[in-house]
Amino acid sequence: MEFERFFKFSQLLLRGEFVLSYSGYVSEDILEAVGDTLRQRLETHARDGRQVRNVFSIFVELMQNIIRYGVDGPQPGLRGAEKPSFGIVMVSENDGKMDVIAGNFVNHEEADMLKGKMTFLQTQTPDALRELYRERLRDMPDNTSKGASLGLIEIARRSTLPLSYEITPTGDGHYFFMIKATV
Amino acid sequence: MTQFTQAATSRTPYIHLNDVAGTLEITGESYPEDVRRFYATLSEQLAVFFASKPTQLLVTIHLSYFNSGSARALMELLDQLDEAAARNTDISINWYCDPDDDITREFAEDIAMDIQTAKVNILETDDGKDG
Repeated sequence: MEFERFFKFSQLLLRGEFVLSYSGYVSEDILEAVGDTLRQRLETHARDGRQVRNVFSIFVELMQNIIRYGVDGPQPGLRGAEKPSFGIVMVSENDGKMDVIAGNFVNHEEADMLKGKMTFLQTQTPDALRELYRERLRDMPDNTSKGASLGLIEIARRSTLPLSYEITPTGDGHYFFMIKATV
Repeated sequence: MTQFTQAATSRTPYIHLNDVAGTLEITGESYPEDVRRFYATLSEQLAVFFASKPTQLLVTIHLSYFNSGSARALMELLDQLDEAAARNTDISINWYCDPDDDITREFAEDIAMDIQTAKVNILETDDGKDG
C-alpha cells in the first residue's frame, strides 16, 4: 500500500470522536485483547458505568457474531487454519452517545437470514425484546442459527436507539453486513 | 469429595463450592471462549455434591458482566439447582446485581420466574462499580 492511501486511512480513523477501531481477522484472542483496550479507552470517554457496560457488552456480542457468522470474503484466507472471519469494529463518540458499528462478510444464505432477523428486531419494544430473550434462552440452539441470535437480541436490548443495518453485495457472491448500535 | 475452586481469569468468574459449609460462590465476569465446557465442569462438581444428599446450599452469584452465551449456561445452572431443591436440598440463591445494570437484574428476575423450589433473592450491590 502506498503511504498516501495509508495516510488517508489514518486521517479517517483518528478524528476527535474516535474511541477504538479494529479491522482484520477476528478470533477469541483478538476479542479479549481488543476488549481490554476498549475498556481502558472507555474509562476516559464514557459518561458513566452504565454506558461502559452497555458498549462493552455490545462489542463482545458483535465480535462473537463475526467469529460465528463471518466468512473470509474476498480477503486471502489463512491456509490450514480454522475458518477465518474478517471483520471491522469501530466505536466512536458523538455528543455523549457512543456508536458501535461492526461489518463483516457473509454468504448469500446468511445475508437473507440476517435481513429477516434485523428487520424483526428493529420493530420490537424493550418489553418485547426482554420476552424474546427469555424465550430464546429456553430454546435449544440449533445448528442453522449458530447461537439462536440471542446475541443480536442482547445487542438490541443494550442499544438505546433501534439498531440499524445495511447489507451490501460485494460483487463476488459475498455480502458485507453492517450493524450499528447506539448507547 | 473435596472442595472445588476455580480461579478467576479475565473472562471467567471465580468459582468456589464448599461442600462442608454448603456454599457456592460465583464472582467476577463471564464470557468464556468455550462457555459449555466452562460451566460443564461446575455442573459435574454439583452433581457429585448433590449425590451426597446435602441438607442445604447457599449460592451467591455476583457477576458484573456476562455475555449471552453465559446467560444460557446460568439458566441451566439454576435449573440444576432447582431440581436438587425439589429432591432434598434446601437451596437459597442470592443474586447480586449492580444498581445501574437493568439488564442483568431483568435477566435474574426472568430466570427466577421459572424456578419452582429454590429460593432466589435478587439483591443490589452497594456501588455500581465493576468488581
